[in-house]
Amino acid sequence: MRMWIYIVRRLILVVPIIVGVMTITFALVSALPIQDRLISSFGPPPKNAPCGYSPVCPCSVFGLPQAGNCTNPLYQRDVNKLGLDSPVYVQWGIYIGNSLTFQWGYVDNHSGASSADSLIQGEPVATVLSWLLPYTLELAIFSLIIILIVSIPLGNLAAVYRNRPVDQASRVISFSGYALPGFLLGTFLLMAFVLGLGPTFNGEDPTCKAQSFFQVFYGSWPSQLCYPNGQWPSWLSKGVITTPTGFPTLDALIHGQGWLALDSIIRMVLPALVIAYGTIAGLLRFVRNSMLEVMNLDFVRTARSKGVPENVVISKHAGRNSLNVTITVLGLTFAFFIGGFPVVETIFDLNGVGRMFVYALLAPYDFGLIFGSTLLFTFLVVFANIIVDVLYAYLDPRVRLG
Amino acid sequence: MTEAPAPLAEPAEAVPVARRGRRPNPRIAQMKRTWYFLRRNTLAMVGIVILVIFILIAIYALFQPIPWTQLQQECASSGLYPPVNGCLCTYSSGTVSPGPNCYQTPSGYPSDIAPTIDFSHGTLGPLPLGSITTAPSNPTFYNIYAGLLRGSDWSLGVSVAIVGTGALIGLLVGAISGFFGGWVDEALMRIVDIFLSIPQILFVIIVIAVLVALPVFQPFGMRVALLIVGFVIVWWPFYARIVRGQVLVVREQKYVEAAKASGAGGGRLVLRHIIPNSVYPIFVQMSLDVGTIPLLLGTLVYLGFPVFPTIYFPEWGSMAALSVYSGAGASTFTDALLTCQFGTCVIPWWQFLFPGLMLFLYAISVNFLADGLRDALDPRLRR
Repeated sequence: MRMWIYIVRRLILVVPIIVGVMTITFALVSALPIQDRLISSFGPPPKNAPCGYSPVCPCSVFGLPQAGNCTNPLYQRDVNKLGLDSPVYVQWGIYIGNSLTFQWGYVDNHSGASSADSLIQGEPVATVLSWLLPYTLELAIFSLIIILIVSIPLGNLAAVYRNRPVDQASRVISFSGYALPGFLLGTFLLMAFVLGLGPTFNGEDPTCKAQSFFQVFYGSWPSQLCYPNGQWPSWLSKGVITTPTGFPTLDALIHGQGWLALDSIIRMVLPALVIAYGTIAGLLRFVRNSMLEVMNLDFVRTARSKGVPENVVISKHAGRNSLNVTITVLGLTFAFFIGGFPVVETIFDLNGVGRMFVYALLAPYDFGLIFGSTLLFTFLVVFANIIVDVLYAYLDPRVRLG
Repeated sequence: MTEAPAPLAEPAEAVPVARRGRRPNPRIAQMKRTWYFLRRNTLAMVGIVILVIFILIAIYALFQPIPWTQLQQECASSGLYPPVNGCLCTYSSGTVSPGPNCYQTPSGYPSDIAPTIDFSHGTLGPLPLGSITTAPSNPTFYNIYAGLLRGSDWSLGVSVAIVGTGALIGLLVGAISGFFGGWVDEALMRIVDIFLSIPQILFVIIVIAVLVALPVFQPFGMRVALLIVGFVIVWWPFYARIVRGQVLVVREQKYVEAAKASGAGGGRLVLRHIIPNSVYPIFVQMSLDVGTIPLLLGTLVYLGFPVFPTIYFPEWGSMAALSVYSGAGASTFTDALLTCQFGTCVIPWWQFLFPGLMLFLYAISVNFLADGLRDALDPRLRR
């Protein structure tokens, strides 16, 4: 029962943070030229609007008799919708309202993003991001699993065998992880796989055997040639969006395509490793140090003196603690963890939110997509922090009862 | 239980008036103690040695044939973005001409030259680390060795400027928040929470992407200032949180109470007693961040985001990113991305390896130092 009260209290505390984040993005959006704001909020101007979003137009365009310029009704209407002619607090209220209801604007027709990916032209930003989010989530879950299964045992071992080879190895991982950014590690891995393995196997269709092995670790799906009949399956529309859930592995399994499910997992191995590496580096030290502290506490000495075998002392008595530490530090560094996705998804050409963020930064910026994906990533961080706190409260009764 | 009667007057020898002037300053003593533990830490000393080498390289680079003021003019005259030439090349009246580290490619000669110390290039001189083409359509290239040398100024200078400013702001905010407590603390820490929930790389990008269009930020110097401002906006909350935690501890110490009892005001307490005693923990964070920021800069450039006035800017991250462009035979990141989308491009290894190695060595040396500092400053870890 107390747990529910804790969760509800934690959820209420999230509201000011989300509104605060939106206030920051509102401040940034306000610095944009009005034209850019209108396009990113309402999409490209409709075909029957000759002047687009320009504030004034020659009156002859509207079929009016007088000479000179008249105000553009489309401009007037959309400026009113955003409250741009009202005081700042009204604009802020409208912006927060739109952001909270996922009205994040539209993708521009002329932006670099829509020329890189024609599927998203003129679509609502929230819709585009909802296509891509499941892929990013699956990748995140995958790399979180790698982080947990590497950092906890390795950190514990490094503490138990202090200053022995295991400890030194964990130190090497820790230091190199801090100093190797994702783009260096990712590109090195790609280069190694291209140079080292060369063209071999790809998929199961013989027509794509001529292509390089590289592609198994590159892109979210095999190329179109690799499917039966050389066509994308109907559930994998143009090799981008999967139905019904959007999670690639799950959807492939639902449609009974075992080899595609396996393939989609193989493609996530390298990216997940690159994302996990930096976080593991940060975690190892904390796990090791906290384990060293716990090993000196009284209850561990008691367990030893009453004859509990050493491996049980380490795994059960002392080791339980490192899960708490891992979860806490993971929560604190989750923003950095999420920041790795744009880079890694771009390097490995994965069809997730991160790569869409990078597309949005191509030459004419797509501000709707830029701010939309930033908000989405921030939501991920905020909700991951809630999950971390709840897990922590579950693992440590002092928190929820205190 | 009876209380011992208080002595009417303290014995004269209890107040060492005469020795007071010679008593060592406790902060100097703390520094000496830190240095003592640091000196015993092999990794930290390795880090310091590498770092000193980097600083010497940066100082040497400052006095190279093209000092940075001239670089500023060159880059300014090249029309900012998109670049016409690498800022290592001399640029005058609309054409690129060979400069001290920039050469016209002889006809029939490959523009990407692998590392060689062969002098047979004639006027080209030795290319110990190979070369990078400035643009596929542009038959000039520059010496990676010279670029790395020049890049050391930028990578070190920009990261120190960002970390210094960020730490200063964080120190003030954290000290105020921790010292005054109550609603001030609550409000400031919620703001810090908000800033920390936006993923840092994305935050830097949206700040710069929005502000870069403003006319204020068009001149070359202001572009660099914008880069620093963008990072500082994102970075100060980390320091604020660390300092606040430390101030909460320091605030309860006896000497602060004593100062308060002798009538010190809030400003004096914060500036003279609280801040000087809470700065040590942020030294560790600062030294870590000085190493992280060039990596993040490299990441941003790699993503094709114009943090620098041109992508051919002599900065380590930019050079590593440039290798991908030249591997794709592209002059813009869009082209590079779309060409490389099908995995057809091979990156010339030397163009990627050497700048990457510089980034790695710099970051790891700083990390060694930070790790040693943490051990030296935290007695619990010193076992």
